Amino acid sequence: MITLTVNGNVQQLAVDPETPLLYVLRGELALNGAKFGCGLGQCGACTVMIDGVAVNSCVTPVGTLHGRRIVTVEGLGTREQPGVLPQAFIDEQAAQCGYCIAGMIMRAQALLEHNKAPSDTEIRTHMEPNLCRCGTHVRIFRAIRRASETLRHTATPQGETAR
Amino acid sequence: MTALDRLSPSRRGFLLGGGALIVSFSLLPPLAVAAGTGERKLPGSLQRDPQLNSWIRIDEHGVITVFTGKCELGQGIKTALLQVAAEELGVTPESIRLVTADTALTPNEGYTAGSHSMQDSGTALRYAAAQARSLLMGAAAARLGVSIDRLKAHDGAVVADDGRRLGFGALVKDEALHVAADGRSALTDAAHYRVIGMPVHRVDIPAKVSGGPAFVHDLRLPGMLHARVVRPPSYHATLLRIDTSTIAKMPGVRAVHRDGNYLAVIAEREYQAIAAMHALGKAAAWNETPSLPEPDQIFDWLTSQPADRVVRRLARISSRQPIAAPTRCMLRSDHRARLPSSKMAS
Repeated sequence: MITLTVNGNVQQLAVDPETPLLYVLRGELALNGAKFGCGLGQCGACTVMIDGVAVNSCVTPVGTLHGRRIVTVEGLGTREQPGVLPQAFIDEQAAQCGYCIAGMIMRAQALLEHNKAPSDTEIRTHMEPNLCRCGTHVRIFRAIRRASETLRHTATPQGETAR
Repeated sequence: MTALDRLSPSRRGFLLGGGALIVSFSLLPPLAVAAGTGERKLPGSLQRDPQLNSWIRIDEHGVITVFTGKCELGQGIKTALLQVAAEELGVTPESIRLVTADTALTPNEGYTAGSHSMQDSGTALRYAAAQARSLLMGAAAARLGVSIDRLKAHDGAVVADDGRRLGFGALVKDEALHVAADGRSALTDAAHYRVIGMPVHRVDIPAKVSGGPAFVHDLRLPGMLHARVVRPPSYHATLLRIDTSTIAKMPGVRAVHRDGNYLAVIAEREYQAIAAMHALGKAAAWNETPSLPEPDQIFDWLTSQPADRVVRRLARISSRQPIAAPTRCMLRSDHRARLPSSKMAS
């Protein structure tokens, strides 16, 4: 039995510990956010946060995550009440097909939780592992910058800022 | 060859000639009479489903639902189709419910491919919405005792110039939209667009940034199982033998399927199917025969193959002249000139 905290909820899972986290999130917990892209940790569509760090869930065996804190895009807000980053992606219309977007948001979330005011270069460098085949990068970049500006103008306690 | 044959849509395509991109096109207008049959061709996908209420329904409360056989693939057609229907109905896009590609509910428009969604479904919806508006205004004119030119459709109602208004819901009695689509209704003049061409937020994006169901693999059906196919290691490989007995006993595996060279596995959970697929791949013995040329000999191989002459028909379009008679030319390209051979092996 493996115990994880996913989006604040404690989950007890009876799965093969070799199973990559992605299949647990999608298959066992019915969370749609993380996507299967390449299955090789090379595209970032499956990105989630583990203890505040952006990780490719498709190559992370769930057996290594006992007691860890996992956040997926579902943990940032709802359709009705989007979090800061999802709202910025809506405002900038930063999606074409949208398949990479939940992964993009989670990688950006990991950046903004540690650095509310990243430079353009820091955003580009941090987002480098995640691919968008439609070519929406310019809008994605603008959305992250917009979220960063929103966070700087809303003084709330650290850790709660981007939720 | 008849003029119709020369210009038929099947010949439509992008033709490259003389360094200029030339687009050939059909001169047939959307409502052209089909050759020889005397039947009018309806615009867009109305031709496939010529029933008006296959495309638009309005209930007694005035709730508008539009239907498309095309599927949202992230190209934004939900939003664009709503704009088209809203424009012709004189309502806001937000006030319309849209049902996309559902075999039980929507018109069958075949594949969602080839940039045809707006061209075919958008055209159908535009004419259907214009006809629905026209029918509603006709009903309102009779009810209010005024001529149609004193009426306009606005915000889900038909409004007369004297201020009287009748909601769409009150006007759709007696199956008003249960008629054949005629593709004849006047469309809104582009100069008067309120919604088409205006920047609006895509309706599919909120689900995609919040983990809502947005893609086909977000469907979870009761009792759903997962399958994986084991691909042959090379082109034309044949499956010699496979012992599936241990794999059939792997956790969650429900069945191993073999049909000649086709090998697949079905399991309860997705990763169980993947693990079993890998095990099957290792257990399978394939007979492989070299059937593709060596990479470094590819050009010699290509030039040694029998060649087909491909003759494309080109039409030059001039603002002053009608389309010229078809000419014949050969299109040639030497790929060797573009890639140094040293790059080919990598």
